[in-house]
Amino acid sequence: MTLTMHLYRRLMMKGRVFWLVLLASVPGVIIAVAGIDMSSDGLAEAFVAIMMSVGFTYAIAALILTVSTLRDERDAGTLPYIYMRPIPRPTIAASSLLAGTLAAATIGLGGWLSTVLAGLIHGAPMSLMLPGAALLVSAAVGYAAIFVPVGYLFSRSVLIGLGYVVLVELALSGLVSGLAQLSIWRIAGSIYVDLVNASGIEVNIVLGPVAPGAGGGALKLAVVVVLGAGLLTWALRRRDAL
Amino acid sequence: MTNTVEVREVSKWFGPKVAVSEVTIGFGPGVTGLLGPNGAGKTTLMRVIAGLQVPSQGSVSVLGRDPRVDPSVYRVMTLVPEDEAVYEHLTGRQFVELAARLAKVDDPVGRAREVLETVELTDAADRALGGYSKGMRQRAKVAAALIPDPQVLLLDEPLNGADPVQRAQLIRLFKELGAAGRTVVVSSHVLREVERMADRVIAMVDGRLAAVGSVATIRAAMTDKPRQVFVDCTDPRRLGSALMATPHVLGVHLSGNRLMIEAADVSQVARLLPRLAVEDDLTISRIEPADESLESVFRYLVEGR
Repeated sequence: MTLTMHLYRRLMMKGRVFWLVLLASVPGVIIAVAGIDMSSDGLAEAFVAIMMSVGFTYAIAALILTVSTLRDERDAGTLPYIYMRPIPRPTIAASSLLAGTLAAATIGLGGWLSTVLAGLIHGAPMSLMLPGAALLVSAAVGYAAIFVPVGYLFSRSVLIGLGYVVLVELALSGLVSGLAQLSIWRIAGSIYVDLVNASGIEVNIVLGPVAPGAGGGALKLAVVVVLGAGLLTWALRRRDAL
Repeated sequence: MTNTVEVREVSKWFGPKVAVSEVTIGFGPGVTGLLGPNGAGKTTLMRVIAGLQVPSQGSVSVLGRDPRVDPSVYRVMTLVPEDEAVYEHLTGRQFVELAARLAKVDDPVGRAREVLETVELTDAADRALGGYSKGMRQRAKVAAALIPDPQVLLLDEPLNGADPVQRAQLIRLFKELGAAGRTVVVSSHVLREVERMADRVIAMVDGRLAAVGSVATIRAAMTDKPRQVFVDCTDPRRLGSALMATPHVLGVHLSGNRLMIEAADVSQVARLLPRLAVEDDLTISRIEPADESLESVFRYLVEGR
């Protein structure tokens, strides 16, 4: 836990956290504005759609934060203070993934609070808003599992991560159904949609061929985490740490 | 003496650039100075030994363990990296306590207090590292490295930025650790300081080992370089002429009252000088080896490549 908390504090102390929470709060701002002239039924439907579609900005926020988990240590030259300790490499990998997840989830929950606030102003039901936290935390788990190893391995990790977000999550997975199953946002969305029991055109567009289901989504995320931890452990053992 | 660190045929290259080339060397208890000009491969060799970089070929073992495979080796080996990097938001005490917690020592707070005292940083321990001078950061890094009471301590340019008093303190500390049976490897480009603390010197040039041993041993092995001796006397010109008449002296250079003698074997010169002084009625006030310092030896090694 010492390592996890050290990495988490390092991620959260930067000035960027403010801007990332702002980015993750975009759905809340849109709900606040869009909800002004809506009926309560319309608002409920719009809430889910906005969370699912506009909430995608969270992917960028999570990317920027989680790639920094070990990349900051490498770039700053402080990695030896972590690496040269009697800590098994799988433990360093797991601690890093956990720290990245916690940081991304903190940002996500900051953004989620803004949506809850906006929803409360317009009278959106809590049964729709509370599972929003599950959407963002699930996405945080998945993004950290992908972006923490990418951040360790590549110096231009933000660019590579953006490539994944824009090409795979935004563009290609809407066109190629197989790729949609690899989209973290869609997997997290499938958990959320199942929890709120939502349906509709917007939900279908965002999820694509990914079937709603909290259990299936959690299982897919578990596989992503295991693969991410494995990749990071391999990199810690086999690649130069500096 | 048993080596604690064994480096066997290690090479490390980055794309087309060879940083370390087929280095085989062992390090045992005591202080070893690792010398070399910039780009000689000292830092890369340190990082390979520390397990921070994977050797392109060859192997490293520290007390019989490969640092890349067995992280438990970091209970007995630590590194003070060359980079100035520290966690600037932490205080000196927090930085050292973090090292203690990650090293899983029994009493992290107590151990941190001890090592901060050892490097004489107690007074500044509760200030943020971001406000430390370079020398204080170096001492904080050394304190963190001392946390597990390491058998093997790798120090990459540990005296950078330290003022003369701090340098003297750190040199004394490293010598004490070496005398206590620890394996201390110090890389530095400040030759005089290495000379003050190291029992043994390893010189690297262009990624290869250029020489290994004590300064005197390395100098003695340079048989192609005539030894140089300064002699101060009342009539250096006459002494120079007399010396040149003997077969043992290869050359003399005159500078004021000072004569520089070049000879293949200085012991012969040492025997000649008293006799010639008596014969020519000269007073010799000073005899001093001119090129037995580490700096001279190192200059020869670098020139020879």
